[in-house]
Amino acid sequence: MNTRVIKLSAHQLALEEPMYFRVRLEGDRVADLDVLPGQVHRGMEHLVMRRNLYQNITLLERLCSLCSNSHPSTFCAAVEEVAGIVIPPRAEYLRAVADEIKRIASHLFCCAVQANAIGETALFRRVMEIREIMQRAKEAIYGNRMDLAANVIGGVRYDLTPEAATYLARAMEEMKKPLDELYLQFGNNPALMASMAWVGVLPREAAVECAVVGPVARACGIGYDVRRKSPYGAYDRLEFEVATQTAGDVRARNLVRLAEARQSVSLIEQCLAQLPAGPLYADTLPEIPAGEAIAKSEAPRGELMYYLRTDGSDFPVRLKWRVPSYMNWDALKVMLKGEPVANIPLIVNSIDPCIACTDR
Amino acid sequence: MNDCTNETGDTPTAPLSRRERAPEGRMRDGFEGGGTPDVTGVVAGVASALALAAGEETTVTWRRDRKGVLTGWCRLPSGEALLPAARAIAELEGRLAMVTPYLPERSQEKGGREIAYHFDLDGATLTLTVTLPLEWARIPSLTPIFRNCDWQERELMELYDVQVVGHPDPRRLFLDHTITHAPFERLVPYSTFSNAATGKALWDRVLGEREDA
Repeated sequence: MNTRVIKLSAHQLALEEPMYFRVRLEGDRVADLDVLPGQVHRGMEHLVMRRNLYQNITLLERLCSLCSNSHPSTFCAAVEEVAGIVIPPRAEYLRAVADEIKRIASHLFCCAVQANAIGETALFRRVMEIREIMQRAKEAIYGNRMDLAANVIGGVRYDLTPEAATYLARAMEEMKKPLDELYLQFGNNPALMASMAWVGVLPREAAVECAVVGPVARACGIGYDVRRKSPYGAYDRLEFEVATQTAGDVRARNLVRLAEARQSVSLIEQCLAQLPAGPLYADTLPEIPAGEAIAKSEAPRGELMYYLRTDGSDFPVRLKWRVPSYMNWDALKVMLKGEPVANIPLIVNSIDPCIACTDR
Repeated sequence: MNDCTNETGDTPTAPLSRRERAPEGRMRDGFEGGGTPDVTGVVAGVASALALAAGEETTVTWRRDRKGVLTGWCRLPSGEALLPAARAIAELEGRLAMVTPYLPERSQEKGGREIAYHFDLDGATLTLTVTLPLEWARIPSLTPIFRNCDWQERELMELYDVQVVGHPDPRRLFLDHTITHAPFERLVPYSTFSNAATGKALWDRVLGEREDA
């Protein structure tokens, strides 16, 4: 059989961030894959050691736009763990609100991009329109459509006034019907089924071996959600199901995302209903002692992990983080094997890759 | 070393369910400093597995946060203990979550560096730390045991002066081949380090390529 090697760029992969693939083809089918990262390597792990802990919140928020609340909140959780800072209950809920708003927007963006990748432009527009409700909510509450700047060490730096809470509750009400509709569409629409069902399959055993996380893992039947397994913030008091599917294909990954977006709506409503009164942040912070800590959170794409080591100064000795996309790239080797070239952009986007996060 | 891992397989450790963990809102309890903790499955399983794999002197300190999430911290007696310890964790169905190499000043003065391996055990995080010499540091590759250690170790090799022995694919991962080896250990101009995404280095390269053509 005719074997050749092609190189695919971000544009050909329908990605909005730079990533290159070297693909070995047998006929028109993918035989092997080499991922070539590093195009947006900004040396951020080096930069964080040259800034103090407070400056790092700002820097980490700019790590990537879609996970831009998960990074600073998880980093703050790591600092709080080292210093034994207890954040006020209201702050715990407000952090969850910011996280869930970002999760809905991120999941919808991913589903929209995939609709675009298979040429369903009307659906792409529809999903982006629904997402726009969340973008407007972000702008109204945080003053920004992407970076929310919601976190500080010891709590949050924004409050929900009663008017803002009412506005957010109304936005959540507006999301429910469209999200249910989208779930049915991605689940049952024959055109979407034809392009997404049984495409890019990741069997459960391979998912365990590649140690994938987030919706990619949950679509293979691995019910791992950091919010449930290692609860943080307000999540130990909120009710939600861990959304799982078993097929491990593109369709299953999208159904997990849409189910989670729907749950996020409910989580935000629970937060608004339970929101306790009180301060937004711990008003006096202790000296940050020497120590080490692990902080984990469920970012939109899956488990985000931070390791912080301090020596008593304001600068971290080491700050390392591992983003959910980091292992998911490797799983593409399994998902793409035997697939036609035409399916590559769809399958690559179905893992919701985050390149700025991967490269740092 | 191999026979140890077989024995650890016999230690049954049921993963902790959420309910079995510490009650909500409880403060960090007596795990640190050798109190008498209510020994849970993960704690007991890890302790016996590591003792078998890496030697009796291996102790794991457990911390529990306010939400009941466990983190375990362990210093391995030697670099040789890493491979059997990792195998023991694989037996316990642990997942490699992250690898953190670093050069803390304190250990640098003693001529050492450290690498922390973070494993996930159904929600609990266990960190195994090994101390290596500053020069000629060598560490066995865990990629044959944990497939996802591949990128972690490739990144470790390009950023630090550490040799990972037995890595199946030891190529550069993020950094350009023109960048000096181990940039986290020496001063490298920022534009060079960030793959010349900005600044003079990029301009020089563009001009250089034009002249070559």
